Amino acid sequence: MTALSRLDATRRIAAAFEGEPIVASLGHPAYDLFATGDRDTYFYTWGSMGLASSIGLGLAMAKPDRRVVVLDGDGSLLMNLGSLATIGWVKPANLVVVVIDNRLYGTTGGQETATAHGADLEGAARALGINRCITVSALDDLDGALARAREYPGPWVVVARVDETPPTLKPPQDCVFIKQRFMRAIGSPEGGTQGGPA
Amino acid sequence: MPTDLPIWAAGVCAGLHAAGSRHVVYVPDNPLSHVLRGLREQYADVVTTIATREEEAFGIAAGLYLGGHRPTVMLQSSGLGNSLNALTSLLVPYQIPALIVISMRGDANEWNAAQVPMGRAVAAICDAIEIPHTDPASAGDVAETVALVGRTAFATRRAGACLLPRRLTVPAPAVPRR
Repeated sequence: MTALSRLDATRRIAAAFEGEPIVASLGHPAYDLFATGDRDTYFYTWGSMGLASSIGLGLAMAKPDRRVVVLDGDGSLLMNLGSLATIGWVKPANLVVVVIDNRLYGTTGGQETATAHGADLEGAARALGINRCITVSALDDLDGALARAREYPGPWVVVARVDETPPTLKPPQDCVFIKQRFMRAIGSPEGGTQGGPA
Repeated sequence: MPTDLPIWAAGVCAGLHAAGSRHVVYVPDNPLSHVLRGLREQYADVVTTIATREEEAFGIAAGLYLGGHRPTVMLQSSGLGNSLNALTSLLVPYQIPALIVISMRGDANEWNAAQVPMGRAVAAICDAIEIPHTDPASAGDVAETVALVGRTAFATRRAGACLLPRRLTVPAPAVPRR
């Protein structure tokens, strides 16, 4: 079995969910998502560590007819495990949370996370009420998991065990630009950007 | 309205609805239970979602806004501390608005000393992170205040808070007079 790099995994995720909104956790997950080819449907977070899955949940509730994808990290999800309980309760069928599990706090210098020492995020998701969960560590398995997440209603948690690779690009840094572009792309343009009757 | 719903709580329900909010994300609080009951009984078009923690509530609210909703977040003032990273690194820099309804602890009519330090700090924290905050003057003033704070937040794309003083939300013991 060949190791799965985060960038390769991210390329497959971006391809699997082309045209669908992706909320990216700050740091390396967002950097690599940008590196796979920037799209208007990407919401890059620059802070709020741990909240990508919460943002995704809110978006999934607001847009029940659209699939919403979250690109989370293991360190980030460990900071907000309660989010899995809320997702497991609300059970939005249109939400797919992909956890990029490199077993490291990659953006802050590579300190190990608890998943390097046995913490099982798939098991946590299952225990907190999310029934469709899978862990993959090879490219073919990731493709299969993403195909199933597209085919069957969620909420899904797909844990992709990857190897850390140094990112080479950073997404746009203007937060308001990211928000306005994203909202326009997913069909909920912000009122303040539209103009209208005097 | 049912006679047992306090005026201030009916005001929060009416105010958030008038501001166009149809989704309330919250962490529970004893006084806010009246608001939740009011929403359940009289505002069938308002969805409520409970979060495990206040910062999670703000994350969910941000997602709701990105999807075209006008979210309300309800919390006890003690949860403002739990909310700070979400507010300062998501809602404020991305200019994502939310109507924030805060049930105050630690102000006049408090009995629990552990609630006092954060309660006293709420206004200063809001000022420090540039979240405008307004206190309704009386129970009868709550509906207008909540509606105004919400409309301003969504029109200006800046989160705004309505602070509900404890002297309004919790009955105070009567003072004997002679």
